[in-house]
Amino acid sequence: MPIVHEGLAREFEYVTQEEERATILEQIEAGDALMQEMAYSLITGNHAAVDELTQKALGEDREANDVLDEGLIPGMAVVGVKFRDNLIFVPEVLIAARAMKAGMAHIDPILSASGVEPIGTAVFGTVKGDLHDIGKNLCIMMMRGAGFVVHDLGVDTKPDEFIEAADEKDADLVLMSALLTTTMPNMGRTIAEFEDMGLRDEYKFMTGGAPVTQEFSDDMGADGYGDNAISCVEKAKELIEIAKVASSG
Amino acid sequence: MPYEETMTPRERVMNALANLPVDRTPVSNPTNVATVELMDMVDAPFPDACRDPQLNAELAATGYTELGFDSIQPYFTIIQESSALGCEMQWEQKDNWPTVRMSNPIWKGEDDVVIPADFLEHRDMVSVTGAIEILKKQFGDEVAIIGKSMGPWTLAYHVFGVESFLLMTIDDPDMTMRIMDKLKEATVLFADAQIAAGADAICVPDHATGDLVSGEYYKRFLQDIHTEMAERIDAPLILHICGKTLDRMPYIAQTGMASFHFDSRNDPQEAMDAVDGGIGLVGNINNPQTLYSRGPDEVREEVYACLEAGVQMIAPECAIPLQTKLHNLLAIPDAVKDWSAERL
Repeated sequence: MPIVHEGLAREFEYVTQEEERATILEQIEAGDALMQEMAYSLITGNHAAVDELTQKALGEDREANDVLDEGLIPGMAVVGVKFRDNLIFVPEVLIAARAMKAGMAHIDPILSASGVEPIGTAVFGTVKGDLHDIGKNLCIMMMRGAGFVVHDLGVDTKPDEFIEAADEKDADLVLMSALLTTTMPNMGRTIAEFEDMGLRDEYKFMTGGAPVTQEFSDDMGADGYGDNAISCVEKAKELIEIAKVASSG
Repeated sequence: MPYEETMTPRERVMNALANLPVDRTPVSNPTNVATVELMDMVDAPFPDACRDPQLNAELAATGYTELGFDSIQPYFTIIQESSALGCEMQWEQKDNWPTVRMSNPIWKGEDDVVIPADFLEHRDMVSVTGAIEILKKQFGDEVAIIGKSMGPWTLAYHVFGVESFLLMTIDDPDMTMRIMDKLKEATVLFADAQIAAGADAICVPDHATGDLVSGEYYKRFLQDIHTEMAERIDAPLILHICGKTLDRMPYIAQTGMASFHFDSRNDPQEAMDAVDGGIGLVGNINNPQTLYSRGPDEVREEVYACLEAGVQMIAPECAIPLQTKLHNLLAIPDAVKDWSAERL
């Protein structure tokens, strides 16, 4: 169904890149008016409405995956674009994330029980000495929405904790976040400890966080860098594909 | 003509903060310049140096005696007040910054906001005021001593948790304002105590960064409070906000504060244009890439870019990674002196 919700139509105008517009529009148009209302409620951070609409949708015997893909994901995608383009900031993203969480509380148990094969498995932590986790939490939410299994290692994650978790969870990806310029070098130290243990090639490493740049990420020896939650998901998918090709070769 | 300095480091810094002429641009990091190498040099490691006035003073002094900066900053962390307010702390070891465990916040709403009667007597506050007294006795008027008092926005992150506090700003902006008003009294109290102990200027970190909130947020929640602080606190104030801040610099420039310590993610020339003479600037040598990972040549390049733009005091963009090599820090004053000599 084309966009009929006026508020959602206004919000969609913030998505200006052609490819992104096409992707998000396709997701929205796969749904109906109820899904559009849900997407709009998520973008505006109305968690009570998202909670109610998700229950209503599932009560109408819709597939949990459809509710996710046609309501919550396109809503969060618009939020991600607005955040990346500095049209909104973290408080506005947090209220949207709170709304997403309200919907996921109903969807997660259904998806978990369905046994769908995940895209990949990741362990994700804020590095040693850094207790900031907003960016990490947003990325985890987006990655889970995209079909990854993500194990949240929390904040102040020491290199040996990354190593232990990656092994225990049989991870494909090790993701590290930092907000402080003073703790960013701990990303490189973490990768170096994997190297010292002879485990560098077992995993793909990604970095991110407000002060982290592609150049710094390269300096630290990471395989990928996410500038924001959307690019984090895209890069994670890309690295999983590379890993698959490498292992099949 | 040989290059000659005619001012003491203190005169140089104080003149720059007052927008008066200087013999050369001062080098002064309002946050601090502690590193592991400096800790080893004077046997004053973290976390003890953050909690003991004598060790604090000994480590802080190295910024002047070993690095040749024009100021000394005896408050290394951003968590001394939060410790005194009762936050759960993680003091870490020598090679890591002490932090507040913000995932276990101590307060939920405005009624919880109470500044303890013995706030200034807490050991983590005395470690700063005591260190300032020691340094003032040791150095007199030779070098500028810059204190630090955390602003209400940063204190709110610590006591409420970042996520809860940012949600509060949307869910209940009026309560947020009332909380800012209450917390600013802690900032003023600690600033006044450091001035009484001998501080020449006070850095006020208040992390309303562009990585988290908009410039309009700064205007709405903080501009008036920072203006009030500049009026009430009897010393030049240096506001510090990490991250992208160009969009809020025009508001910051109207607060009456003496200087703004800005991050490397803002181009020096664009920053100078944004403040348009309303406030001095201090910054903005990149920490993680340049000071930590690169060499003196790259440091020099960034120092020159700041000087060419007219930045009034040269400094790393923030507190530096503790493993930063001294030769990169020494390159900052060297580059400033060379630039000054070249222009004689």
